[in-house]
Amino acid sequence: MTAFLVSLDAVSAWIRHLACGQTLYFPQQSGQSGLRFLPVDNDSEIRFDGYQPSLAPPGKKLAPAEEPLFRYRVGTDGIPVIQPVLDASPRILAGVRPCDLRGIHLLDQVNQQGHPDPHYLTRRQQTVLIGCDCLTPCDEHCFCDAVGSLRWRENADLFLTRIDGQFLLEVQTEAGQRLVANQNFPACPDLAGLKAHIEAQRAKPFGRQWHADAGRIPGIVASQWSSPVWDKHVERCFSCGTCNLVCPTCYCFDVRDDFQIEDPSAGQRVRHWDGCMLPQFAQVAGGHDFRPAPAARQRHRVKRKFEYLNERCATTSFCTGCGRCGRQCTAGIDIFDIVNDLIDHAEVTP
Amino acid sequence: MNASVTPSTVVPDADLYLPRMARILEILPMSAREKFLRLELPAPLGHRPGQFVMLSCLGIGEAPISISCGPRTDNILEVVIRDAGSLTHHIHGLKPGQYLGVRGPFGSGFDLEAWSGQHLLCVVGGLGLAPMRSLIQPVLANLESFSGFTLISGCRTPAEELYREEVRGWEQLAQGNSKVRVIRLVDRTDNQPWDGRVGLVTAPLHTLEMDPANTVVAMCGPPVMYKFVILELKARGLGDAQIHVDLERRMKCGVGKCGHCQINHVYCCQEGPVFRFDRIAHLAEALQ
Repeated sequence: MTAFLVSLDAVSAWIRHLACGQTLYFPQQSGQSGLRFLPVDNDSEIRFDGYQPSLAPPGKKLAPAEEPLFRYRVGTDGIPVIQPVLDASPRILAGVRPCDLRGIHLLDQVNQQGHPDPHYLTRRQQTVLIGCDCLTPCDEHCFCDAVGSLRWRENADLFLTRIDGQFLLEVQTEAGQRLVANQNFPACPDLAGLKAHIEAQRAKPFGRQWHADAGRIPGIVASQWSSPVWDKHVERCFSCGTCNLVCPTCYCFDVRDDFQIEDPSAGQRVRHWDGCMLPQFAQVAGGHDFRPAPAARQRHRVKRKFEYLNERCATTSFCTGCGRCGRQCTAGIDIFDIVNDLIDHAEVTP
Repeated sequence: MNASVTPSTVVPDADLYLPRMARILEILPMSAREKFLRLELPAPLGHRPGQFVMLSCLGIGEAPISISCGPRTDNILEVVIRDAGSLTHHIHGLKPGQYLGVRGPFGSGFDLEAWSGQHLLCVVGGLGLAPMRSLIQPVLANLESFSGFTLISGCRTPAEELYREEVRGWEQLAQGNSKVRVIRLVDRTDNQPWDGRVGLVTAPLHTLEMDPANTVVAMCGPPVMYKFVILELKARGLGDAQIHVDLERRMKCGVGKCGHCQINHVYCCQEGPVFRFDRIAHLAEALQ
């Protein structure tokens, strides 16, 4: 595939140019809350330095916090009419880091399996991904290398790496090729040499590392159903669900109906994010709760990321190592610490 | 090109979350908390015993509801609705001619063909009779395929008994057919007339005449019932692979996406809600 060597100014101008034709999301500073993936307009700043993971991961643009599944209207004959709603508007997600590219890859897997989800896949099939490499860890929460996300780039249509004041721009798909057509970017003269140089520049070790080989972690997590580790970390947990809401691979939802207050014969069925850390997530009619204890909910969340979903998605970890859950947690609970404690606990009580 | 990781080739089912509208033909009280509904769908449901539908009322919401009728070739769907939340409370107030949304059928269901030649023992608690009826109807209509059928059905009080007339019909069938046994129980009579036994559904299992090697069990009831019934069955020599449980979880989508019904790594709405017990016995969250 083609590779170009492009200046920062040319990359910024190109991204602005792409944003004229369709909605293009790029991480931008938003008040005091850090970066968010927002649509690029004339006033947008295109910055690649000082990146810290966005508040919500870019994959959430494919499964928004709230979306209609269909609209309905009850006719005068009393018979309801259902009107499907699918969002097929084209979009570009640009500046997506490897951890979040892998997050989108994992969302692709769960949404394709079994009954393919029409809402996610319709958006996804209209989405072009422009990835961006990381040569240094974003902050002390990052552990993308430990879970195998650091070098993930497979699903990027285009992939950018900032090196020596320039950008290596690699075209990975035909959709990516269309975005660079007629740009007259200069070709990269020695791709293999430049890639070796990039690897030499990459920080080592990169971010936090496990206390055990990554390949052992699903087995270690699976082996610990009753462990004091579950109680240790949950003592501080408010069951607020922030960790779910900022996670690039959390996709659970609830469904509710909203009728129009001024015309109750019409309305829509809406799905919205839900989180397995929230109380009542596993409660059934009549009040029985299958996971009433916060420690049981936290165990479920950790096992989803490191045990339950691995096999379904043929991956070693459903956690991308972005560090958002630990970074955003009000009580400072970090899934990385929980898993390392499980490893330590398994070492002393095998 | 990375065709394997981009979802461009997957054709999603655009109708996945869209309900079909079903007209209420009948809505009848069964007890203080339960109503029976007979619905007419636009086309046959084509379900297996033990499957469920996502039933909804537009503007109120959607919930998983067990199918209560056996497989049928017409467009009829029968369900039992307990008044337990905002949606079910609203449904209790509906009239014939009004519409409900239906998605499905979903889930695994009971595999009747796998039980051919065996004695089927159904153990039912309370509202569990609603889904179990979808199994009992085809079994009684096809008794020659089984070496026998036993129903042990319990509820708390005589007033809470569901399908009273139909269960008495099964009882009459049992009087003329040695292959069929029906045992009805209540926990307590509450000074109401009662022509069955008093006690828990586990009680008849102590002395029930059975050939453990040739028996399959299907059970549906409240979570607490399973643990004790399984203990009794094991004491009688049955193995986990002979026992089938119908579990309840809070499905929000019915299609393995919303995450609500997960039991450890298992999606109850996909692999269940009917499970052969040996396939979930090791799951700590299964019978909590």
